[in-house]
Amino acid sequence: MFRPIHNSDRIVEGSNRAPHCAKRSLLRLHLLGTSCPSANHSDLPFPTRSQRGEAGTPSAMEPGLSIESGSAIRVAVLPVGGTIPPPRLREYAALVARHARVDLASLRTYYSEHQKSPFAHQPWETGCLRLKFVLGGCVPSPWEDFQSSRKVLAVIGICHLPSSPDLDRVAADFVDAARTYPSALARRCFAFCPTDAQMAGKKRDDIIMFPPSDQQSLELHMVTMIQDLAASLLMEFEKWVLRAESTGTILKTPLDSQSSLGSEEVIKAKKRRLGRAQKIIGDYCLLAGSPVDANAHYTTAIELARLTGDVFWHAGALEGSVCALVVDRMGQSDPVLEDEVKYRYYTIIQLYRRATLQDNAQRVSPVSFELEAALKLARYLCRRELAKEVSDLLMGAADGAKALIDASDRLILYIEIARLFGTLGYKRKAAFFSRQVAQLYLQQDNAYAAMSAMQVLTMTTNAYHVQSRKTSKINHDSSKEPRASSSDSGKVHPQSIASLFESQWSTLQMVVLREILMSSIRAADPLSSWSAAARLLRSFYPLITPAGQSGLASSLANSADKLPTGTRCADPCLPFIRLHSFPLHPSQRDIVKRNPRKKEWWTGAGPSGPFIYTPFSKAGASSGTSKQEVSWIVGEPVQVMVELANPCSFDLVVESIYLSVHSGNFDAFPVSVSLPPNTSKLVLLSGIPTQVGPISIPGCIVHCFGVITEHLFKEVDCLLLGAAQGLVLSDPFRCCGSSKFKSVNFPSISVVPPLPLLVANVVGGDGSILLYEGEIRGVLITLTNAGTVPVEEANIALSGKNQDSVISIAHSTWKSALPIKPGGEVTFAVTLRAWHLSSADLEADGSRSPASSRRIAREGINPFLNIHYAGPAANPENGDISLPPGRRLVVPLNICVVQGMRLVRARLLSMEIPARFTEAHLRPVSGKDDISTGNDTERTNINLLKMDPYKGSWGLRLLELELFNPTDVVFDVDVAVHSDDINVDKRVISEGNAGDAACHKTRIDRDYSARVLIPLENFKLPVLDASFFVKESSSDEPLGSRAAAIAERNAKAELNASINNLISKIKVKWHSGRNSSGELNIKDAIQAALQASIMDILLPDPLTFSFKLAKNGIATNADSSKDSGNPSIHSSEGNVGPSTGNVLRCDDPISAHAMTHMVVQIRNNTKEIIRMNLSISCKDVAGDNCFDENSATVFWAGVLSDIHLEVPPLQEVVHPFSVYFLVPGDYSLQASSVIIDATDVLRARAKAETPDEPILCRGSPFHIRVVGTA
Amino acid sequence: MASTACFVIVSKNDIPIYEAEVGSAPKKEDMSYHHQFILHAALDVVQDLAWTTNAMFLKSVDRFNDLVVSVYVTAGHTRFMLLHDSRSEDGIKSFFQEVHELYIKIFLNPLYLPGSRITSSHFDTKVRALARKYL
Repeated sequence: MFRPIHNSDRIVEGSNRAPHCAKRSLLRLHLLGTSCPSANHSDLPFPTRSQRGEAGTPSAMEPGLSIESGSAIRVAVLPVGGTIPPPRLREYAALVARHARVDLASLRTYYSEHQKSPFAHQPWETGCLRLKFVLGGCVPSPWEDFQSSRKVLAVIGICHLPSSPDLDRVAADFVDAARTYPSALARRCFAFCPTDAQMAGKKRDDIIMFPPSDQQSLELHMVTMIQDLAASLLMEFEKWVLRAESTGTILKTPLDSQSSLGSEEVIKAKKRRLGRAQKIIGDYCLLAGSPVDANAHYTTAIELARLTGDVFWHAGALEGSVCALVVDRMGQSDPVLEDEVKYRYYTIIQLYRRATLQDNAQRVSPVSFELEAALKLARYLCRRELAKEVSDLLMGAADGAKALIDASDRLILYIEIARLFGTLGYKRKAAFFSRQVAQLYLQQDNAYAAMSAMQVLTMTTNAYHVQSRKTSKINHDSSKEPRASSSDSGKVHPQSIASLFESQWSTLQMVVLREILMSSIRAADPLSSWSAAARLLRSFYPLITPAGQSGLASSLANSADKLPTGTRCADPCLPFIRLHSFPLHPSQRDIVKRNPRKKEWWTGAGPSGPFIYTPFSKAGASSGTSKQEVSWIVGEPVQVMVELANPCSFDLVVESIYLSVHSGNFDAFPVSVSLPPNTSKLVLLSGIPTQVGPISIPGCIVHCFGVITEHLFKEVDCLLLGAAQGLVLSDPFRCCGSSKFKSVNFPSISVVPPLPLLVANVVGGDGSILLYEGEIRGVLITLTNAGTVPVEEANIALSGKNQDSVISIAHSTWKSALPIKPGGEVTFAVTLRAWHLSSADLEADGSRSPASSRRIAREGINPFLNIHYAGPAANPENGDISLPPGRRLVVPLNICVVQGMRLVRARLLSMEIPARFTEAHLRPVSGKDDISTGNDTERTNINLLKMDPYKGSWGLRLLELELFNPTDVVFDVDVAVHSDDINVDKRVISEGNAGDAACHKTRIDRDYSARVLIPLENFKLPVLDASFFVKESSSDEPLGSRAAAIAERNAKAELNASINNLISKIKVKWHSGRNSSGELNIKDAIQAALQASIMDILLPDPLTFSFKLAKNGIATNADSSKDSGNPSIHSSEGNVGPSTGNVLRCDDPISAHAMTHMVVQIRNNTKEIIRMNLSISCKDVAGDNCFDENSATVFWAGVLSDIHLEVPPLQEVVHPFSVYFLVPGDYSLQASSVIIDATDVLRARAKAETPDEPILCRGSPFHIRVVGTA
Repeated sequence: MASTACFVIVSKNDIPIYEAEVGSAPKKEDMSYHHQFILHAALDVVQDLAWTTNAMFLKSVDRFNDLVVSVYVTAGHTRFMLLHDSRSEDGIKSFFQEVHELYIKIFLNPLYLPGSRITSSHFDTKVRALARKYL
């Protein structure tokens, strides 16, 4: 329905019939200057005749007048016949209107001089006739006698023949239409697009047919017709002038008709008639294109009018003379001419004003002529340099608006003022008067007027900075260069900063937008009303009451209902959208730029070393990182986080929102969001890049309130910036309770070709690997290539904390699987060992709840597998190999270490109960134990000794480990003691459960504790050396030599080493379930336990005693010590409480009543000679001394007490004796000696408190079983 | 005492930073924005006129119907615009000069960002008092 009108500057529609159309199109052209997208404006075809609001007095003012308009011949262009489709009518009218100027020279062929022409000075070579086509015709003006240019002097009918087949009717219709213009001197009816039948018919004179042909020949045809028309008009003018000169005419204006026709008036009128006739003849001369002739007649008319006091006609003649002057000098800009025009026009204005004052009493006021004159002069002068004068003229004219009775006149006046201010560059003034125009339109109650009002208001939006983005976008491009030049002049303010913020004159802006909304609703233009409401709501929501906001929302919804679905609007409404962050997709984060010069290409990519800034990094690299760069990969989804805010008081439903990408290589996925009042929400928008290349994301496309709009991030950023500076009303995000404004730079995004994508999967679930402390377990990791490109190279490294918990990675497995094809996968094993929880962890884990243990796992203490991989190098054939980026896959080994078996304490126990072990005791007397190894034990295999702890042992030191199982599972514990990697001694003494010697397991149920005993006698050193006590002794010597100090240090180190050696030999391994196994960390605990009595454990006694049978004088190996190196016989001094040691047994039973020869062997374990007093005692089972002199139960031979011996260092001394047992039974022999002149070393070993204390050494008891004689 | 007057301070960037209806006439909502429309339109004239004279007080520069716009331009191109019906020019000039002093005090405030809205209630009170005194 609505079509653009072209050439609207040529066609001027009848002012009286259709004020809005004409003015609108002209106004638009003049106000907006360059920005006239006429195609975008809808225009009305032809308003009906009843358009004029108030009947009453016909309006005098006409739009678009200029000084030269007195020389234009008015031609009415009327559609006749059947209905013409508007586009055809426009086309035909444009065809006609193209010929507004007809050169006189071209008329020669059509012109025939019937009489002598009254236009003596007609410039046939240079002159022209000006035609002013009025589409739709106009109501005859009452003032047409006064100014002949107001007369309709010709009528052209336009007929579209396909819609009006009956030619006779067309002709009649045209005659009817032309009859309303009695002043017309020429009539033509043009008929277009005749049918064949019509063409074939009789050729008619009254209808000129334009045969169907191409545009060019049609135009040629039209030129001919118009020239013919012009020539006939010219001839008619000649006739008219000749007649008027000869007969004279009676010329009246509404002014005259009002006066009573008294005799005086009649005489006056007769006098004036001649002058008026001269003026009119001058008008016709001007119309005929002969300004010189016209000027002559005007001069006469001016003289006559002045003489007769005909002020009004005086002014008219003067105006005509100026017109003649200007037309004559057309195209010349002459300051003298300008001054002349200015001078004369001020006179004219004065004269009209006088006439107005004269005729003040009358109903019809010629004030419009005064205003028209002012406007004409203003238009003539309208230049930047004369801005002041023009604006004074226009302001004067605006003041005259009050005097205008007719609303249409006022409308035209304001339109003209607005146009002229617009031409002058006074945008705000023009906008002001345009708004006045719009208000006048809005006073009329019809849709056309409302539409006009809306369009006029739309034109003002630029000045008020509320323009639709649709127009501002176009303006922006065209106004870039002018702005640069105008800023040089200094007149135009650099509004670039201010124009970013729309808070200027917010009251006015709201009023304008509201008026646009109102008028567009009335004009039934839903898109405009949607746009206006959207702008109003978006820009001024803080100034609108909640009720008003809801009203706007409903008007948005109403407008959207009338729009087809999927309508787009340039102006965004709610919500406000800003870029929040750029959450990198896990697969995006791992893109690593490849360093082509290194084999380990990933190393150059990131900053190496502990410093964030390294001066050695390349300058190019650092500048590149200043602007964040992001690579997206074709086919892999990406995400952008945006924040939406609804600062209004209604629920906002965003039907869909997705990223707007102009580069076209991105598929965005829409989401829908619902925003409650005054809230903001973070929304993750995603999409998939589809092609390689840069991507720019200026904003989001939002489908809200039924219309699709684009929201730009940049605009909101500007808004927020303005809000930060206090230039904008409010920050929509802060009033929604969102965080403070943080500018997020959109990184430059480029899409790169597809890369391989490895996905790691821990076999057995991606959850944490639950490990008990110290547990060792193998984990299988599966790598799958989920991308579309094979993985050609890869590298796996460790990073993160607790790296040592990864014992091994099966590198060969995955290496052999390369390249991994798309969809291919490889599984490799990683062996893990759980670390030990620190005490802090233990405390945190005290509750033993699963949640807390999980928390420990999350604390970033896990090691990572850093897998760098890359696809094949692209374009190898091009010579320069461009390396596509590689990727990094980080596989966190989520190890959750839970507390396993716990070492409650470790302590040293000594067996103080003197036990008397015999074979009988060692046989399965204890019943419940299956001591199958009893025989082995008897066979002097002292290494495996099984004991009943209730019965104690003699002088045995045991390390007791108390273990507690706080977990939910059952643990089996193995304790292993490695003795110098020769043999593995396992001594497990636990609660009644002693299994095989090679594999002793202790099962500890949940919430039970168990004790594990480890005998320690195997760790004695062979020599008791002074060096162990050198620290104590050297404290007595202040002058300790340097060598002594070194020796001391060496000895210390040796001691420590031996301690560590001891500790490291003890290992506690555990198993739990099917595949949990590990080792208990007990080093610290053992060390702490041993610290107090380390000397006793490690150091040998100074003297060791052993007994041997000496049969036939030869000492047989009957004693317990298997080899001399094994210091199994202990002695200790008497004054220190507990004596430890092994119980010795004699293998071969000794018969009673027989002389038994024995020797006692005394070994000196020190490096010094020891002198001593040895004594040997024998006790029976009751503990009575058998060697008692009074009641001896055993006879003896040889010395048994006070034997003085001297033992050389590290040597043995043998003292023989013989005993004779009377009674069979068990006896125990014991040797003891008092050391004479004990050295400091011995004293220290014995921990003697006083220097004169006797040092007593005592050996272990030696059991003898005496059997009866057979 | 005149019936209508509207006083506006327009910043260098053509943004109104202070508005006050100082007339004694009963306030009507639509009239107040009507006044602003006139003042806004007058900026075009002021823009040209300010460069033709050395005086800060530009007298009456524009009018619409019976409302007159008087303008005072500071050195920083901040414009004081008063919309009034005809009244003594001397009073208006004195009013402008006194307001200028107040404005300078505001301007000297280190916390005031030049070009932003004047929100000081003290300033408002003073301006209204001056309007009562001179207009």
